[in-house]
This record gives sequence, C-alpha cells and structure tokens, in this order.
Amino acid sequence: MRPSLQAVALWGKKAPPHSITAIMITDDQQTMVTGSQEGQLCLWTLSPELKISAKELLFGHSASVTCLARARDFSKQPYVVSAAENGEMCVWNVTNGQCVEKATLPYRHTAICYYHCSFRMTGEGWLLCCGEYQDVLIIDAKTLAIVHTFTSSQSPDWINCMCIVHSMRIQEDSLLVVSVTGELKVWDLSSSINSIQEKQDVYEKESKSLDSLNCRTIRFCTYTERLLLVVFSRCWKVYDYCDFSLLRTEASSSGQFFAGGEVLAAHRIIIWTEDGHSYIYQLLNSGLSKSIYPADGRVLKETIYPHLLCSTSVQENKSNPFVMGYMNERKEPFYKVLFSGEVSGRITLWHIPDVPVSKFDGSPREIPITTTWTLQDNFDKHHTMSQSIIDHFSGFKDETGTVVVTSSEYVPSLDKLICGCEDGTIFITQALNAAKAGLLEGGSLLKDSLPHKVLKGHHQSVTSLLYPHGLSSKLDQSWLVSGDRDSSVILWNIFTEEILHKFFLEAGPVTSLLMSPENFRLRSDQVICCVCSDHSVTVLHLEGKNCLLRARKHLFPVKMIKWHPVENFLIVGCADDSVYIWEIETGTLERHEMGERARIILNCCDDSQLLKPESVLPVASETHKHKSIEQKSSSSCQFGPIPCPGLHVESSCKLTLKRNKTASGPLPAEAQAKPVSESPAQGDNTIKFLEENDGIKRQKKTKCSKKMHPKPSRKVDANLIIDTAKLLLSCLLPWGVDKELDNLCIKHLNILKLQGPVSLGLASSEDHFSLMLPGWDLCNAEMKKDYSKVNLFSSKVLDLSNKYTSTLPNQARMPGGLENNCDSLQESNTIVYLLSRLFLVNKLVNMPLELTCGIDSSFKMESVHNKVKSSGNDILNISSFYGYLRNGKNESHTPEADVSLLKLISCWRDQSVQVTEAIQAVLLAEVQQHMKTLRKAPINSQPESVTENGNCEMMQILPKMEWAEELDLQCVTDILPLQTPVSLVKHDSNSNSANFQDTEDMPDRCVFEESESPGEPRHHSWIVKVCSCKLC
Amino acid sequence: MATAMAATAAERAVLEEEFRWLLHDEVHAVLRQLQDILKEASLRFTLPGSGTEGPAKQENYILGSCGTDQVKGVLTLQGDALSQADVNLKMPRNNQLLHFAFREDKQWKLQQIQDARNHVSQALYLLTNRDESYQFRTGAEVLKLMDAVMLQLTRARNRLTTPATLTLPEIAASGLTRMFAPALPSDLLVNVYINLNKLCLTVYQLHALQPNSTKNFRPTGGAVLHSPGAMFEWGAQRLEVSHVHKVECVIPWLNDALVFFTVSLQLCQQLKDKISVFSSYWSYRPF
Repeated sequence: MRPSLQAVALWGKKAPPHSITAIMITDDQQTMVTGSQEGQLCLWTLSPELKISAKELLFGHSASVTCLARARDFSKQPYVVSAAENGEMCVWNVTNGQCVEKATLPYRHTAICYYHCSFRMTGEGWLLCCGEYQDVLIIDAKTLAIVHTFTSSQSPDWINCMCIVHSMRIQEDSLLVVSVTGELKVWDLSSSINSIQEKQDVYEKESKSLDSLNCRTIRFCTYTERLLLVVFSRCWKVYDYCDFSLLRTEASSSGQFFAGGEVLAAHRIIIWTEDGHSYIYQLLNSGLSKSIYPADGRVLKETIYPHLLCSTSVQENKSNPFVMGYMNERKEPFYKVLFSGEVSGRITLWHIPDVPVSKFDGSPREIPITTTWTLQDNFDKHHTMSQSIIDHFSGFKDETGTVVVTSSEYVPSLDKLICGCEDGTIFITQALNAAKAGLLEGGSLLKDSLPHKVLKGHHQSVTSLLYPHGLSSKLDQSWLVSGDRDSSVILWNIFTEEILHKFFLEAGPVTSLLMSPENFRLRSDQVICCVCSDHSVTVLHLEGKNCLLRARKHLFPVKMIKWHPVENFLIVGCADDSVYIWEIETGTLERHEMGERARIILNCCDDSQLLKPESVLPVASETHKHKSIEQKSSSSCQFGPIPCPGLHVESSCKLTLKRNKTASGPLPAEAQAKPVSESPAQGDNTIKFLEENDGIKRQKKTKCSKKMHPKPSRKVDANLIIDTAKLLLSCLLPWGVDKELDNLCIKHLNILKLQGPVSLGLASSEDHFSLMLPGWDLCNAEMKKDYSKVNLFSSKVLDLSNKYTSTLPNQARMPGGLENNCDSLQESNTIVYLLSRLFLVNKLVNMPLELTCGIDSSFKMESVHNKVKSSGNDILNISSFYGYLRNGKNESHTPEADVSLLKLISCWRDQSVQVTEAIQAVLLAEVQQHMKTLRKAPINSQPESVTENGNCEMMQILPKMEWAEELDLQCVTDILPLQTPVSLVKHDSNSNSANFQDTEDMPDRCVFEESESPGEPRHHSWIVKVCSCKLC
Repeated sequence: MATAMAATAAERAVLEEEFRWLLHDEVHAVLRQLQDILKEASLRFTLPGSGTEGPAKQENYILGSCGTDQVKGVLTLQGDALSQADVNLKMPRNNQLLHFAFREDKQWKLQQIQDARNHVSQALYLLTNRDESYQFRTGAEVLKLMDAVMLQLTRARNRLTTPATLTLPEIAASGLTRMFAPALPSDLLVNVYINLNKLCLTVYQLHALQPNSTKNFRPTGGAVLHSPGAMFEWGAQRLEVSHVHKVECVIPWLNDALVFFTVSLQLCQQLKDKISVFSSYWSYRPF
C-alpha cells in the first residue's frame, strides 16, 4: 500500500532508547540498519568517509527484533526484511522508510537468508528462515507467505545458523545449517527449486554431528572453496568442505564466548566475541606431521593452525552484549568493514585493512575504532529542533533544571495536550500552539503567551493520565484522571482546575489507567480501572467517588484486562498466562486458571461479543519502555493525512482537500466507511499531536480508537485551521533557498520561519511508519556544506521545482491575483490554493502505478465530456477535480497546462521522486510564482486584479468552482443547504468568525467540525453529514 | 516540589548502598539459584548429543483411562521422541480387537518436548554468560536479562501446557498416521501430544457421511480434542467422528520440569520486582 499519511515529528532532547539486537549494512554500503529490543528499526547513513549518522526510525514491530536480512537483489530494490520475537515480519524500503509488506506468522526466526536464482526462479526469490521451530522455512520474499520447508530426515531440530554456499566448482547452490544439537546438515538449493515449488519434501543431502553445542555462525570460504568455518560459543572449528573432516578446533580463552566470524580472504578469518572483541587469524598449513587423525583407513589429512594477526581495539567499560557483522565491500570504495551494535544503542565501525599484518615482532597489531555513534549523538549535535513541549513552560519553573514529562494525553475535542511531569504537576496547553512554539522561529516569543493551566495536587511524578470523555462521550467533559508514583489517583475538573476527589490506592506506582467499555456499566456508570506496579488492579467508581474492588492476588504483571458485562466480572490476564476472574460487586476472586483453560477464557471473551476487550495493557516491559520514551518527552505532532488515492478517502487531507473529496462524489460502499472514520481525524486536525509524546504503543491505539469513535459534535475555531495550515506550509517550505522569497512569505502569507529542518514522518499503514531523526538532513552528503538552506528535503527539489515552473502557464493562475483586496482573505485564499496544489501532487505521486496509464485517457475523455459525474473510481476523481477546475472557467482555457503539469508530476513518480520532495518542489515553484506577482504589485498602486483579464477570471473561478462542487454535492446528499455563489462571496468578505457562525446556524442540524477557510465550510459539513448519517 | 523528592542525603546514600548490594550480590545469588534449577530441569529432558550420556534411555508408559478399557497404549519415549508404540483398540460394535504398532525403523518426534527442551537450554545459555565474574552496572541490564530468560521459560512452559490445536484434516495429514505398521485403517485417526505433565493419545473412529445425507455438513475447526460428531472433508470424502478415545499417562519428569519452570519464573519476577522498587526512587532515570 502506498503511504497515506505524512507526519511532522517534534523530538525532545533525549533520544528514544534503542537497544540494538540486530545489525546489518546494506549492499551499497550507504545505509546501516539496526533492530532494537524496543521493536523499532533505525536507519543510519554511512558516508563514503565511514561517518555514521542516524537518519530515520522505523516503527512497526511490537516486539523485540530478532534478525534482519536483505530481502531483494539490493541493486534493484533496496528492501530489507526484519523479523520480531512475536512472529511479525516486515519488508522495508530503506531508502524512504516505507513498509512494503508485512505478515505475522506463528514462527520466531533467528536468522534469515535471501536466496534468488534468477534463471530457475520466477518471482522475487525466497527468504530462507530458521529459528525456534524445526528445520528451515522457505518464505516468499515478496508476499511473505510460506512456500515450503526443507525437512530433515534425521533428528530434526531447531536450526541455529545457516549459510548459502555458491560453489562455482560444483555448479550447485547449497544450504548449510547447524542445528541446536550441533548437527550439520546440507540441502541442495538450486536443484531442488522445482521440487519445492511443487511442494515435494526435500530432505537433507548430508547430516553430520559436529560434537559442539551453541553454534553461532557457519561460513564458507569462497576464496578457496574448500574451508568451512563454524563458530560455536566455546570454540571455533575449521572443516574441509569436501568431506566435512575437521581441520582445526580452537577453544576460547577463559570467560570469552565467541559470537561470530567471517572469512576475510583465502586462509584468513576474523572471529568476534560477545563482548565486542575480534581477532584476525591467518590459517597456516601445518603439514602432515601434525595430523591428528590416526590411521583408520583414511588418507592422512593436513591440518591447519591459526596465527593471530590483528585484534580490534575496544572502548573500555564495555560489557554489554554486542551484535556484530562484517561486510566485504564489492563496489567502490572497497572498504572491509567490521561493525558492531550494543545494547546501549552504540554503533562502532572498524575499517579492516585489506591485508592485515602483524607487527614486525610477530605480535598482533591493534586495529583502531574508525567511527562510533549513538542515537543520542544525533540529538546532541542537532539540537535546534530538540525542544520538548514542556520546555516552553520553563519560564515559571524554578531554575533547577528542565521538567521531565512522565505521561501525556491528547484531547482532540479540545485540542489540548495534557502532560504529567516528574514533579507532580500537570500542564494543560493548546496542542497547536505548543507545536508552533517548538517548530517555528519566533516560536520562543509564543512561549510566554502560551495559554496553559497547571494542576497541582500530586507530590510524586505523574505516571498515567486518562481523559474519560475521550473514551465515552457520556462522561463529564471536565473530568481528568491522573495517577502518580505514590499510588494516589486524582479526579480533576480541568476547567476549574480543582480536585474533585483523591483516591489512595497504596499499591505502588500507578502504571496504567483504563476505563471499562461502553457496554459495561456498574450502577449505570462506567468505571475506571487502575493497574499498579505491585500487580494489583483497583476498580474505581468516579461518580460515587469510591473504590469498588481491590484485586491484589496477581503474582505477575497484569497484561490484559477484560470485562464481563453480564456477570460483572473483571477478567485479569497476567504475564505468566494465568487468568484471574474477580467479581466486582463482592470483591471476591471467583476463579484462577492457568495454561490452556486460561487461554480459552480469554479467547472466548473475544468470541462471545458479550464483553468487549478493553484496550490491551502493554506488557510490563513495554510499559516501562513506554515511560522511558515519555520521559525523554520526545514529542511530535503529525499533520493530518495527506491524501492517498484509491478508495481510501483517507485522501481527505485534514485541510483543503475538500475539493478532491467532493469531487469524489458518491463513493462505493466500502469507501463509505472510510470517510466516516476519517472525518474525525480530519476534524481534530492536530489529532496526532499527542502521539509521539504519548509513546509509541499508545500512539497506535489512540489512532485506532479515534477512528472508531468519531465525535462529530465538535466545533473548532476557523482560525485554528488556518493556523494549522500555516504551520504545515512552514514545515514544507524550503527556507533559505531565496532570502527574498523567505521574507515575502513571512510578510504576505503571514507564516513563520522554521527553527530548523523538520523531521518528517511517513505512515505506510495503520501501524507502520517512519520518523526522521534530528540531523537527517545532513545525511545527504551533497547538502552537508550548505547550512543556509534550512529545510530542503533533497537537492533534487530545486531541480524539480524549476521544471515545474517552466511548465506552469504564463498567466498568473493563482487566487493570489486577488491581492490587496482584503489581506486576511487573500492570505487564506492563497494558503488554501497552495494546499490544494500540494494535496493534488501528493495524490498523484502516491497513485498506484497500474492506475497511471488511465490518467491521460481519462483526461482526454474529460475534455470531451464537459462534466463527468464522478464515480468512486479515483482516476475519475482526479480528472473530475480537474474538470471542476476548468469547468469553472470556460472550456478552452488552458487545460493543456494542467495536463502537462500532471504529466510532469506523474513522471516524477516514475522516477521514484519521494512524495515530500515533489510536494516541496511544487510548493516552492508555486510560492515563487505567487510572490512574483507580489513583487510586481507594489509598483502598481492600482491592483492589477481589477484590470488584468486573467486575474479577473480567477476571481470568478473560485466561486464557480465551488458552485460546481455544490451541485455535485446536491446530488450526493440532497440534504445539504445550497449556498449560492452569491452568498459565498458574501461570506468571503465577512470575517472568519461570522462565516463560521453562519454555517453553524444551518437548519438541518448539520454539525461540522471545522470550517477550514472562509468559503469552504460546506464541503466539510458534507463530510460530516455522511458521517452522521451513516453512523449516528 | 522539592519535598516530593525529599530523600535526604543520608537516606539517598543508604538507598544507593542497598541498590549496590542488590546489583552485586543479590542478583548473582538469584542467578545461581536460577541456574541450578534450570540445570535440574534440563537434566530431566536428557539432552541428546551432549555426548557423555550416550543415547537417551527408553521409558515405557502405559496409557489408559479410568473409565473404559477400549483403548490401551504402550508408548516408549526416548528423549523427545516416541520410539515405539503399541495401541490396542477394542471396537465398540463387535468387540473385535485391533492392534497396531510403530514401524521398527521410525521414530516420532514430540515437538512439544523438543521445543521445551530447547527453550530451557536457551534460558540456561543466557545465564551462563552472567556468572559471578560479570558485574551488572545498571538495574535495567538485569531487567533485560530477566525478561529474556522469562520469555524463554514462559515459552517452554507454554509448549507443554498448550498442545497444538489441530483440525481433523491436519491430523489425518500428519506423519504420525503413516508411522504404523500395518497401516492404520482408513476409519481411524491417531494423535499424540503432551498436555501439562501427561502424555496423551487420542484415537478417533470415523464413519463416512453419505453424499445424500440430510445432515448439515459443517467442517469443524481446530481443537486439541475433537468430540464425536465433528466433521471434516478428507480427499473426496466427508467424514464424521463417531467415537473418541483418549488415554493418558503422567510422565513424572515432565511434572518436575513444569514445577521448575514455575519456580524459576517466580524467582525471575521477584528479582525484577526488587529492582523495580529502586527504579521508583531513582524515578525513571536509568538506574
């Protein structure tokens, strides 16, 4: 699926924890990929000078990453596959951070090898996987579906490690594996492709016990095609590949555990240990005399003995487990690189000399560390953007240091961000303002003016927050529940800032606050459930201000809470997979079950539909992780979805996408659901503000829950939307490219300059997305020198922008022609126009390839049929969107320009230009174009718009365009109040608020969430209409 | 504000001293205890290939049920594999006695035991790297180790406590049915699994549903134990389970192993809880 959502991240001062569990370098040696215990992947750029810098964090796994491997022929597609503890697998495009494919299989992989045999295989090749299951699993690299298995006939067991041997000599690819019991097995690969595809059993060709346990690596020497290196945790061995006879065993010195090894060259190997040391050996032939084989009828074999050439230096005080790898570079600049990742998140590189030699006296030489880097280094180095939300309140904090945010909650309906702090205070602030303060230059001026509230009542750090109204609209909007480390839970009125009640649980830090689902009522009210760190669960009744149940018998951390509405049971699932059933009214433990029966109880709760599972509590470790992220207060805001095509009306971009949206006309049934769910997201345009701040886990959850429960009865200030739009433009503009342009933008669009480059994010699906890290912009080598350009996504942008400008028609096409009429009106019109352009670009670039061919034809069609009733088909959507644009004018008016622009953008997509690049390029070009007119403007005292034909035309286009949409809307909904263009113009000339008022008074109880700019609210109301019709 | 963190310097010093003791002494004591328990547990699984013991010894188990004596089985367990099996089935209708046994050359791996054994040895391996000579520097490090060990132990236990839920076609397709000589009659299905500390053998008797049968055909999903009346499609035939016979036998060493798992899991959790107590004093700083 193509990405549907762009985001902006606001990072804090501290990097999120990243305990590396897997590491690899891509084949082009430009990117390092690490997988972490936290489940995130990190992409690091590796410069030609072997400098590392973190670029991007990839979110998607909900458990620790176990292994990484390349998933395609890297020169064709830069894809990497990752596997997690819980069986999740993802294929990532490491150039843009997109999740290409994902699957969850009931297998835990510990190693993956990519195999492709171009002349015998169709498709993208296989992922050969091994792990905590018998034998080797073959998974299709493209679909991640299981193709077949390699089965062993003798003592099948788990496989520890494997390698693929391409032997030129015997013209056969083989798979070599070592099982946990130390059994070496060999399967023919290339000659069994057919049998595998026909699902026949393929058994091993050879099987031999190696008499050692805990095999860590097996490697074939491609230089001699003869030696086989097998590294066990306590020793490493060299075998003869021809007959698997043992040539050498080298035991580890005391206390050291080998972790892996690699063949450097013929007779030269590198071995590394778990504590990060590595040793390079030359293997010398010892001659026959040292033969360890007695005459048992076999030919005497020569043996080899190792000579230590070099070792790598290690930083002191490193006792963490390491994961290491070695990369033998094939292309320029011919680096041999040894790399390691630590649990602490540090990456270290050693440049291994081509010909490692020992010192003159024969003692081993030490290879120095070439580079070392951590995520935190990135945050320290590029701290311009690194300001946590809470820092802006520092004005009235004592100077003891910064306050650490320990929990947070976002309330979309109020656009409020609630942060609980380490010192027990709770801040409530406007999310948009907080984002602005964090992102924009001069945002510091906003600091003091930030409207905020402070709730004081906790004496210890606030560990969890809950806004009940956000989960159930029946509850009081003013309520906020917070829990602290001291085990007290406070019920607040956030409007009056007073404490309504204080509960003392005496059960350790409150780790989580949950609310019972809508269908679960106790004394006709929903109840709150507090999970504390002593593994107890307390049920609180807010209305009654009393505690209903204290469940304190759990031996293990609480993992899951479910409610049984009929019998008033609270079902608690613990980390040891046991289940406790509590009767809430009497407070008695009804049952305690383990194992199979516990599983059935939890499962049947899902099936029966009687109970609705409350959002699953993160596992203890996750909670912990969660908090540590919060503590770092790396907060971000995401800006609403930028459209994606397809039936997903996620294309509904939070701002001006109305036109696209209306143009999409009657949607097919399955798409209907989407706008319903999407509109709230659209409404709370800053919905994603909370998310980063709130930790990764909850982020996904909130997103989902928001979509599930749209709350249409909300009105948002129109100014807020314009502000958001401006912020979005600020984030997208390449500041510093043209100083004059910057100034014009600041002056005329009334937008502020960025403090530094924004960290963009990209969601490739519901729970897979990537976030740029601070300092990502310096990852592009060519941009390193130029610090004046603050937010240029890539050097490609300028080029693209010029191309775009050249295809732009000569006459001013922007509503910018209206300048000087009314400043604020013109400003918002321009912003609306710019955004609509951006969304169009986004839509085009994101369009699935197979649809593109249709575009041109549909355009021709379009010019014939003046007005096409749009269907759910998205090609038509776009074309009809254009149709509307042009229909507004007379038919002959430069449709070619649009088509050529469209062609240009479509062609960018084919050149794999990133969406963000395209958007920025178009924005730059449009702004330049726009400002050109502005630069001229001051010369003429009389605005050109009145005299100039084109501009005049433009003035009409806008209303007409909307009129057209209006008509279409009519057909769709019928209930919509028709607003004539006349009234529209009237609105436009009114102030925003008046306009807002007006629409609000619409008779048909059409509640709309936001008026986006003057003159456009009705589109929005249409959306909400659909929503309220379908859902309410 | 400051009162919240009102640990005086002296209190702080004591706390830090206590924490140091926890990291340097107590953790190792627990780890040693844990290692001893797990070694005991892994001995129960008699790791094959570990060299010295030679081939795993054979144990015979007589499976029966308290209710009826229609099915009797004698299974021979050799490590994680069934090396011999003798099943006697008294047909309910005609009291005819059926006997079938494993082919001499074949062994049936009990995947559950193998997986449990591997998980235990992985947990042990995690611990061997952390002997007394290793110094823990942070509590987080201990927590991470405990998490990793607990993950392996939970999985080991779960493998034994939760047998695979199989559909009837899956049982029919399984290699187990092909293990017997003479071959199993087509109207019989056999499944062997571990449930907690018990070795279980189920025999399903089937009868074909007539194509024109008025019975509503509804294939059943996966289950550990299917009940009579369960239907499925196999080949071109629609079959229904007419009788189910389940016999079982307690394997004493599996019982021991399960107890060891539970005890060590609790040890781990207690150690984690001890560390976490300090985490609240250090208030979310890396402790």
